[in-house]
Amino acid sequence: MSERHTAVPGDAAQLPALLRFLQDFWREFKLTPAEALAFELALEEVFMNVVMHGSRADRAPGVKVSMTVVDGGVMLTVEDDGPAFDPLSLPAPDLTASLEARRVGGLGVFLVRQVMDSVRYERRDTTNRLQMTKKMGGLSPAPK
Amino acid sequence: MNTQFESLGRVTFVTPSGRLDFGAAPLFQSELEKALAKTPAGMVIDCAGLDYVSSAGLRVFLLVSRSAARCGIALVICSLKPAVREVFDVSGFSQIIAVCADRAAALEKMPA
Repeated sequence: MSERHTAVPGDAAQLPALLRFLQDFWREFKLTPAEALAFELALEEVFMNVVMHGSRADRAPGVKVSMTVVDGGVMLTVEDDGPAFDPLSLPAPDLTASLEARRVGGLGVFLVRQVMDSVRYERRDTTNRLQMTKKMGGLSPAPK
Repeated sequence: MNTQFESLGRVTFVTPSGRLDFGAAPLFQSELEKALAKTPAGMVIDCAGLDYVSSAGLRVFLLVSRSAARCGIALVICSLKPAVREVFDVSGFSQIIAVCADRAAALEKMPA
């Protein structure tokens, strides 16, 4: 079974634990260390987005993260039970704005789209589900 | 992550190392702002030891570059590792912040 998952509260203090989860997965499946960085970036950006947009007044959302070795690549799935929110609906930042005019926020999701090959959002009942996939040089596609 | 500061003449050299993520960004930002306030003419941020940067880190570089521009201080970032350079490039930050290949190139951009 090439899938591992973990669950944490949607609290910024959990970020180091999620990073360790990702790095353990990387070691266990002997993936190329340099290729972990894109996933570390995607995981941080998506998780922090949930922390900042997914909290209701009385509680932090629950977040489930799973990683799977798929055909020639790795899939990262982040689910949370916060209010419905499609991060892919956010407008892209204006990359041509000057230093003074450049907006400070809105970059995270944009970066995720850049470093991943595919990003898909789905609302399932009470859950937001963001699924990201990237092909990996070190992994050969499964034999047909 | 940890950051070293060194003053040489009218230029402050900043050497961050490790991971500039959401957790590390607030301290890095306040250290940079403090160093900027004491900098007479220019600042070089040498990122040779920086392994990782997220949008939280980019935000710090943006805010500090803005502060520097307002104070008339030349700010240059140099020696980005390929993975960090990619984040600077895809976000368009390489166009709005001066990024140099190495310390020697950064020094040429410093005021005499």
